[in-house]
Amino acid sequence: MTEERKKDGDGGERREFERRTVFTEMLNLFSLVGILYGALDERLSFKEGMRKQFEKPVWFYRTRLESNFLACLGGITFALYLFQVATGILLLMYYRPTTAEAYRSVVEITTQVPYGWLIRGIHRWGANLMVVTVLLHMMRVFFTAAYRPPRDVTWVNGMLLLVLTFGFGFSGYLLPWSQASYWATTVGTDSMSAIPIVGDTLKYFVRGGNTVGQLALTRSFAFHVVILPGLMLLFLVLHFLMIRRQGIAEPL
Amino acid sequence: MAYEDLKAYSKYGSEPFFPHHVLRQVIQFTVLFALLILLSYLAPAPLSPNADPFESPANVKPDWFFLAAHQFLKLSEKMSFLGPWAPKVFGVLAQGVGALAIWFLPFWDRNPERHPSRRPTAIRIGIAMVFFFLVMTLWGHFS
Repeated sequence: MTEERKKDGDGGERREFERRTVFTEMLNLFSLVGILYGALDERLSFKEGMRKQFEKPVWFYRTRLESNFLACLGGITFALYLFQVATGILLLMYYRPTTAEAYRSVVEITTQVPYGWLIRGIHRWGANLMVVTVLLHMMRVFFTAAYRPPRDVTWVNGMLLLVLTFGFGFSGYLLPWSQASYWATTVGTDSMSAIPIVGDTLKYFVRGGNTVGQLALTRSFAFHVVILPGLMLLFLVLHFLMIRRQGIAEPL
Repeated sequence: MAYEDLKAYSKYGSEPFFPHHVLRQVIQFTVLFALLILLSYLAPAPLSPNADPFESPANVKPDWFFLAAHQFLKLSEKMSFLGPWAPKVFGVLAQGVGALAIWFLPFWDRNPERHPSRRPTAIRIGIAMVFFFLVMTLWGHFS
């Protein structure tokens, strides 16, 4: 590792930079154990790839306008999403997606399952806060004009993430099968039919029939738990890769 | 970004992703998680009675972030004196076109300026849209 670094160490900055990291040293420690990096690293040069990713610098601004809370909104949204995934998996352990049992299982989660009320509360608060922070993040990017090329694709991708977030909100709201969720979904799917041409088909597809029933619950569940998380993961990774590749926008 | 670009970015500071940036993120995430626990302790998630398809409550509303769109649709029904086509055109197409315009904003906003004081029109439109969203949400909430 040391010879290799000497070989491509061009310029003082890079060597200075590498002196500041402890990642290489930690990787070497793991290599001593030999399980993760021994045979695997010989074939896939795993260590080198990890080193590149983890030692790649993260830029931050030195100007006052951006180097504050506003620059953290995207990261906070991502954190909230991670919490949603974690608490969502825990809720999934006890939730039963049928019209007869859904409400009872949510009551059970809230009253009987240890810390169920807390997990459900975090999931609910996290969902609402995530919508807030994603809208604020979008506003920050708009008002600082950070969406300009070459970051235009990142903006379009981000709008897709916003739509997915709304999809999470819409599908998740039905799952407790309470009066509020049932009628909110009825009204929400009703307004879908106002869309020209495809509106009625879309409404029928989401409801799985003419009224909100078991199929609507099944489909909401499928979207909320499988389809949307998969899409979200894909486009989140794209979003982050583009940011890592291009860096943050120039200071104003 | 290549390491060679370091000099060109003198306006920036930089730190290694690991451990500096990761540590900073972990601190932020922990504080955020504590905030979520506090919030769900102070205001537990509400749960209305079991769904009853035969008894609709007095005031049916969607979740808060759909309230603005919902209220706009309700308002556009007032345009039906222009003909049966009017509510759909105003309610759905206006919102659809608006959403698509924001979605593909970078492709038609070709102003090279970035500082807010040098792009006043965009800033005014942006503030107007945020204000519109807030007013419609509050209106939907209290109507």
